[in-house]
Amino acid sequence: MIQEKLMTRPKLSLEWLRSNMTTVGPFIFVIAVVVIFQLINPFFLSYQGIITLVYAMSYFLIAACGLTFVILTGSFDFSVPSVLRLSALICVMYIEKIGLLVIPLTLVVCLGIGFINGLLLAKFKVPSFLATLGISIVLEGIAWYLSKGHLALMHNETFRSLATSFIAGFPSTLYWGIGVWIICTFLALATAFGRRTYAVGGNLEGAGLSDINVARHRIYVFMLSGFLSGLAGILYMSQMGGGSVRIGADMAIPLFASVVAGGTALTGGVGGPHRTLLGVIIITWIQAGMAMLAIGQDVQMMTFGLIAIGMSIATIDRKRIKIIK
Amino acid sequence: MNNQNTKKRMFPVITQTLKMHPVVIVLLALIVIFGSIYPGRFFSPINLKSILRQFVTLTLFALGPSFVVLTGRLDLSYVGIWMLGGVLVWLFKPILGIFSIIMIPIVGIATGLFIGVIQTKARIPSFILTLSLLVTYTGLSALLAGGYPRAVEGYEFITAPLIPLIPTTFLLTIPIIAAAIFLMKYTRICVYLNAIGSNEEGAQLAGINVDKYKILAFTLSGVFTGIGAIVLFQHLGGSAQMELKLNTIVWPLVAIVLGGTPLTGGSGGPQRTLLGAITFTIFYRGLYLSALHPTMVTLLVGVLLIASIIVSARGLKGVTVT
Repeated sequence: MIQEKLMTRPKLSLEWLRSNMTTVGPFIFVIAVVVIFQLINPFFLSYQGIITLVYAMSYFLIAACGLTFVILTGSFDFSVPSVLRLSALICVMYIEKIGLLVIPLTLVVCLGIGFINGLLLAKFKVPSFLATLGISIVLEGIAWYLSKGHLALMHNETFRSLATSFIAGFPSTLYWGIGVWIICTFLALATAFGRRTYAVGGNLEGAGLSDINVARHRIYVFMLSGFLSGLAGILYMSQMGGGSVRIGADMAIPLFASVVAGGTALTGGVGGPHRTLLGVIIITWIQAGMAMLAIGQDVQMMTFGLIAIGMSIATIDRKRIKIIK
Repeated sequence: MNNQNTKKRMFPVITQTLKMHPVVIVLLALIVIFGSIYPGRFFSPINLKSILRQFVTLTLFALGPSFVVLTGRLDLSYVGIWMLGGVLVWLFKPILGIFSIIMIPIVGIATGLFIGVIQTKARIPSFILTLSLLVTYTGLSALLAGGYPRAVEGYEFITAPLIPLIPTTFLLTIPIIAAAIFLMKYTRICVYLNAIGSNEEGAQLAGINVDKYKILAFTLSGVFTGIGAIVLFQHLGGSAQMELKLNTIVWPLVAIVLGGTPLTGGSGGPQRTLLGAITFTIFYRGLYLSALHPTMVTLLVGVLLIASIIVSARGLKGVTVT
């Protein structure tokens, strides 16, 4: 009897681990990242190092939360970096003229872009990846037009203090990030909006049959994504204090990688914003850790591309969907 | 008598063509519009030569992915094959000499096969797989080349002028186009890829080895891009490029969709991409001649992409789009 128990125990725990891999995996990944970088670079977890990590992850977390909702419905939003760039550039270009009113203006513009994205997908049947890719090109044109290709600097101190004033030892951008993350988690797990999101991602036709207005809900999700990207752009401009059309240029794949690394499957319906926090920590801490070690952009891009491929393979739910395009 | 007969036969052919390829109307309209706005400059030899040059670039990038789009998937790795291949040519030049150019098709075939196998076996959406791979390739090329473009000499013969006013690269493109059309017209691949694109489950039930043909589609895409990138390598400056631009990724997609291959798959193919490529080129060159700011041209290209997808997606009732 005892022997039998001893025989079965490791097998059981292995099985448990395997079935909960998408939950446990990110934790292991985070610990591995911290341990490895701490061993190479003893300043990784120093106070200054942690402040760097916080700055790197906060605005990123907000943008990733928006993308998570879109991926939860089974779609994809390629335009997140472009919306972020546009929002940052609108802030820096118009703050002299209209003051802090620029913040609500930016958010309304970004909501509008999200609305167009959603409309293209839900009403005009354009695959979301290509619709948002087309919108990205359009937004890139607008960003060039706004900035004329110059580097623009933010001189408004009130605007700068939005993300950079220190509260209890941490920059306020951290509280923005965590606050938005908590709201998004609440929205996904405890409201009708969240339940509808999971339903649409889990089974589009079933959701339509159970009296969910699928088209409208998809538009809402894209609007949320646009809004959060805009907010992330405002915080980005506030903490960086300037920028050009290069803002967010290589952000699409790290963003996507952080969502799937957290355990949200590309097929939709599995995961959620609560998981994205760990994914964002993994990706941005690798990014910041590599930057601290002066490892170049090329190696970073390679790493994130490979993480994105590996994590999509690991998280995708193959049983439910027969044909994957 | 004979003349009348041919006339009678001609009209249905023309109306049929217009029905099948509405983009022909757009093409003719664009030529007429731009031709009447700038009559001297638009039909000048220099502009026509630039149109041909840009047509070559677009076609060689877009021809391969058309096979994949036919099955309803996407292959965005073309720019990556061109970049990584170029860097490998530079890297292997001291060892292989002039033959190091074969590194580009090798990269192409390997990439296509890899994407095909991963996409069909691990079952992850193709656009995200190929996009991630593209970013990985960009990083890898920058790493191998040390971060800046490397010029490679010795392949000038690819662009050396043979016939006045016609770029040599255009002549080199003709056999590649012919190969693609041959595959589509005289082999069974066309039927199978169309079947997979229009109804994959149905194709499987009909006894088609769906996985095999999906892998074949991705491999063909890699092969065509790889061979095309040999020409493109010299055509676009004879050096390995490092920076990933959104424009280079999107333009071939516009050409494919504009040509009449809907992104849901099931109809069209490489032969139609030629039509899309020439239409897009004339659209772009026409705007280029105008007084519009370059950023506005970029913006209009994005609008054109979305508009052409909306038009190509008309009549898709039962298809769920994600």
